[in-house]
Amino acid sequence: MTATAPRATAQRTTARGGFPRWRSGRSLRRRDRLATHRWFLTPWLFLAPALTVIVLMVLVPFVNTLQLAFTDSTLLRTGDFVGLDNFRKMFDDERFSTALLNSTLYTVCVVPVMVVLPLMLAALVASTPRLAGFFRTAMYLPVIMSPVVVGLIWTNMLDKQGLVNELAATLHIVSEPFPFLSDRWLLLFSAMFVTVWMGLGYYMVIYLAALVNIDRSLYDAAAVDGAGTIRTFLDVTVPGVRSTMALVALLSSVAAFRVFGEIYVLTDGTGGVGGGDLTMTMLIQREGTGLQARTGYAGAISLVMFVILGGLLLAQLAVQRKQRNS
Amino acid sequence: MTSTGRRRTFVAGALLGSLLLSSCVIGSDSDSTSNDSNASDGEVSGTITFQTWNLKNDKFTPYFNDLIASFEKENPGTTIKWVDQPAEGYQDKLSADAAAGSLPDVVDMGPEAAYTLAQSGVLLDLSKEDPEAQDQYLDKAWEAMTFEGLGGGTYGYPWYLNTGPSFYNKELLQKCGLDPDKLPTTYDELFDQAETMAENCDDVQMLARMPAIENFGEYGVQLMNEDGTEFTYNNAEGVKFVERFKDLYADQGLTEESLNNLQTTEVEEFKAGRLAYLPGSSYTLNDLKDTAPEVYENVAIGPRINNGSPNMYIESLVVNAQSEHQALAKAFAKYVTDSSNQLEFAKKADVFPSSAGTLDGPYFTEDDGTPATQVRVDSAAQVKEAVVWWPPAFSGSADAETLREQIAQALLGDKSVQEALDASVEYSNERLEANG
Repeated sequence: MTATAPRATAQRTTARGGFPRWRSGRSLRRRDRLATHRWFLTPWLFLAPALTVIVLMVLVPFVNTLQLAFTDSTLLRTGDFVGLDNFRKMFDDERFSTALLNSTLYTVCVVPVMVVLPLMLAALVASTPRLAGFFRTAMYLPVIMSPVVVGLIWTNMLDKQGLVNELAATLHIVSEPFPFLSDRWLLLFSAMFVTVWMGLGYYMVIYLAALVNIDRSLYDAAAVDGAGTIRTFLDVTVPGVRSTMALVALLSSVAAFRVFGEIYVLTDGTGGVGGGDLTMTMLIQREGTGLQARTGYAGAISLVMFVILGGLLLAQLAVQRKQRNS
Repeated sequence: MTSTGRRRTFVAGALLGSLLLSSCVIGSDSDSTSNDSNASDGEVSGTITFQTWNLKNDKFTPYFNDLIASFEKENPGTTIKWVDQPAEGYQDKLSADAAAGSLPDVVDMGPEAAYTLAQSGVLLDLSKEDPEAQDQYLDKAWEAMTFEGLGGGTYGYPWYLNTGPSFYNKELLQKCGLDPDKLPTTYDELFDQAETMAENCDDVQMLARMPAIENFGEYGVQLMNEDGTEFTYNNAEGVKFVERFKDLYADQGLTEESLNNLQTTEVEEFKAGRLAYLPGSSYTLNDLKDTAPEVYENVAIGPRINNGSPNMYIESLVVNAQSEHQALAKAFAKYVTDSSNQLEFAKKADVFPSSAGTLDGPYFTEDDGTPATQVRVDSAAQVKEAVVWWPPAFSGSADAETLREQIAQALLGDKSVQEALDASVEYSNERLEANG
């Protein structure tokens, strides 16, 4: 749409409207201008509430973070411009490399599971319509639970004296309890498990909606061709929900890279033994909160995280576009 | 939309953003101090806000309501608005208030929070604004709120103190070849007994937590330089202290979980009968009696472990330098922290008063033979020797977390003890400098 279009439309409307002849040309022009203004303002008025929220809650903090990232600001002191010092410091900070590694590993491990497992569950639920309601509710239940509550439940389950270890000991599977909450890698994988457990229902519901849109005749044709369950799933279901899979990959990768709640609760807010389970968001929280918060440094870490996530999204969109074109 | 339209929208958005941004920046700039405020020596009148943490409940509300009512009666024309919030993340709440310029007039806080706010000029320097108040308090309490790193200013009226004995599980000591009648008094004795316990028992421990900064002080490590401007706990004595933990971990006297445990977990472990030693406070005994009666039956009480002076904690009442009613704020803070009101509060809260002479009263000196009284009397005597070891400049949880993490890495063998302490000191110094 061009900027001249509204004016042209307005002129046509007025011409077709057939204003009384006794109105002067000046009066017509004024009415014309009012109509144009009204046409221009109306959508903005509709957009205003949402735009205000976005500007105040997203744009302004973003610009502020951008500005802070290049200063040595603390919470109570407006800092000075320090150029790239924060970024140099960041790459010397061993906690940053730990956090980057953990967040990346989290994304790499969680996203494939989040893309595939809910789809399989959705296909299973869709194939058993009688139990679909029950499964949908049961699987969605963890989604509506608070991450803190979920974390506490799993902390108690995975503790040395928790249910999992007690069960393993009773069944004589292990002689020593699993250090789920103290070993760096076990804790990280436990947190990934909790994330998957919490997110399954959400992505399953998305897939269920996508599955409805697949043409039933394709399943009939596959059955006629003698395709089994797995072949049908791979050749009919998966291509049918490919765009949804891309969406789930996109959403789950952003969520996984920003993981906070699960690890925070499982480690009692500490980031694990020796800080070995710190993630990017936890590091930002640690540096950017409290009375001695180094907001400039926290802003720089946030900016790096934004760039990584932006790159991740662009890469995924590029892959999606390439697939669509091919 | 044409490029002209887009440009116009962008410019409008940028202008709006800049306006909001500038207002945010202006709002967050609290470098300026209003210590020069003429409200300081004014009349004791008006309305002020008094902030406490976790004290509005059945136990303490009547005390504070009576306290406020009697103050208002003695000072007609004054109104005290009492605000209480949950203590969790209290530094974050304080920082939000301070950044927004809406800190209450009188706030309950520890020296570590007061230090950072004082650094930013948010708090009233009492050594200048109310120097005669010093006589009302124990010297060591006043000194604990006097920050050498900030030019020797005093930034809070001392309120209550807390220290306590060490608690031991006699049953575990006996089971693991230790004599409950020979309780350790120094850190070296404690480590020796922990080693013995590790040799004889594999399911219980003597220690369950990494040393905190105040433990370094109790061990005899110099924590900061004389000026209070740099941390020094990475010195030889500090390394020696952590090496003892490293040896104990190598001998399986510490579990992997203990490398990351917080104080709450330590208390839980003691109550569960899996831990033999717990550094406690004056209310630990009653807590054990109520929540872990089986452990309470087997508890032995010894002096707080230290190599020189035991640790104590202090809470204070600070006055907002930007308060419009500073005279009233000062008068109220002094009223809350005067001898009779502190004594009454100490009786309710199982803490110790910082007001001069109050500890010499019969409540803190006369033992009626009950275990609770014995703990109170012994702890009150300990206050006289105790030192607030936690340096006020060691502010916020980030410093404490970093110290714990670095020690854990040293114990796991990821780095040497010296490297770990160097990294921790460097981090704390950086934060101190950034806020300076």
